[in-house]
Amino acid sequence: MVEGISPDETLDCRGLSCPMPLLKVKKALKKLKPGQILEVLGTDPGSKNDIPDYTKKQGDEFLGMEDESGHTRYLIKKGG
Amino acid sequence: MNDEKQSSVLSEILSNGHQKIFDENWPMWLGGLLIGIMSVITFAWARPWGVAGGLRNWGDWFFSLVGIYHYKPESPLISTSSILTLGLLWGAFGSSLLSKQFAIRKAPPLELLKGIVGGILMGIGSAMAGGCNVGGFFTATSALSASGLAMMAGLLAGAYLGLRYLYWELEHLPSGTSGGTAVSKKEKEFDWLKIEPYIGAVVFLAAIVCAWIYNKNAYTRVGGLLLCGIAFGFIIQRTRFCFVRGFREPFMTGESDVPRAIAIAIIVSVLGFAALKWSGLRGENVYVPQAFWFGGLVGGVIFGIGMVVAGGCGSGSVWRAGEGHIKLMLAVIFFALSTSLFKAWINSSAGLISLMGYRVFLPNFLTYKWSLILVIAIMLVFYMFAAWNEETEKFVAEL
Repeated sequence: MVEGISPDETLDCRGLSCPMPLLKVKKALKKLKPGQILEVLGTDPGSKNDIPDYTKKQGDEFLGMEDESGHTRYLIKKGG
Repeated sequence: MNDEKQSSVLSEILSNGHQKIFDENWPMWLGGLLIGIMSVITFAWARPWGVAGGLRNWGDWFFSLVGIYHYKPESPLISTSSILTLGLLWGAFGSSLLSKQFAIRKAPPLELLKGIVGGILMGIGSAMAGGCNVGGFFTATSALSASGLAMMAGLLAGAYLGLRYLYWELEHLPSGTSGGTAVSKKEKEFDWLKIEPYIGAVVFLAAIVCAWIYNKNAYTRVGGLLLCGIAFGFIIQRTRFCFVRGFREPFMTGESDVPRAIAIAIIVSVLGFAALKWSGLRGENVYVPQAFWFGGLVGGVIFGIGMVVAGGCGSGSVWRAGEGHIKLMLAVIFFALSTSLFKAWINSSAGLISLMGYRVFLPNFLTYKWSLILVIAIMLVFYMFAAWNEETEKFVAEL
């Protein structure tokens, strides 16, 4: 589902724990234009609920997540 | 039906059950409800739930071992405070293994430093307030102590200040990354994740054996408390229940799930506590700390800043340490050391003790009926404020 999507920007949150990944996502999304895609790499298990919930609440589109070796990769499309 | 078929149906039921309980995180409100119920059960069994008291016992014990304190604190194996906190750590560790969520989680240097500083602040705050967010706020409020409500106000203010610091940090300091090197040597590496659930099962079995050993040695009360602590750890890890979020989210994302869960937990818990105290089954002064209002309020502010900076409160730091976060392990260690020292300092001076405030048991002023109505009303208002704020974002601070 998230393979083959090329992000406009990547945010490395590996090693950060709640709430830092969410705050960084909030800040990074602010800088993007609507329709652009943000890729986030994270290791905090809490992010698996927090990032989808938060982006949906903000009106952005959560494209999906997948576990890679040692971290999880999230893709978010900035909403209008 | 033949035996083989029966056993395959059974194993399917087991694996479905495992998936429901361990693969998905439970809803937050369920966490609130279960914590409220466990809080009452724990008090009915022996004593109320607390976390900081156990950490203080560990700190006392450490300073006594290195020769700074000249008395021998109660053994961590017998102290009920210590056992409850040990149980929390134990339960969270076992539960994260069973859910394949345990890993030693490294963090960049700035994060580790924040764990240390946050831990020290929480230690000071809980020494002043007579407990952390659990003993000083959640349990004290359930126990109808006015200091619990003072600490709640302090925690809200502290969480806001802590969040302002995080916003500042985001603009001014590079947070770094732990990188992805830790797991990259994949070949031939033993797949720990596969066997984690089995280790988790052993961890829980060991707890039952320990409780049984306590029972054999006439420490049934302590053994039961170990199991209560483990139940808290299990519930909290599965729901990722986080008091920090209850106080921080209204300012950060506006989300109101956790404030609602906290309100549910306290309403259930305060009803049980009131029944136990009103009926005379438990002492009225239990968990009514001498901390109204200065200790509760100011301790709450300091604790609130600390918990947001560390990313975990009293209970939250302990259960995340059990899940393998090095940052929160540091927070727990420095929490234990600082709360031990700060409490010893307060206790060394009658002036400081009286500065913290009075022991205020609400029913002495308001009767039980109105105290209950007051606490429940405050929780409902807290939840309604959070739900209203979720829609309007009036209190959400801009980045």
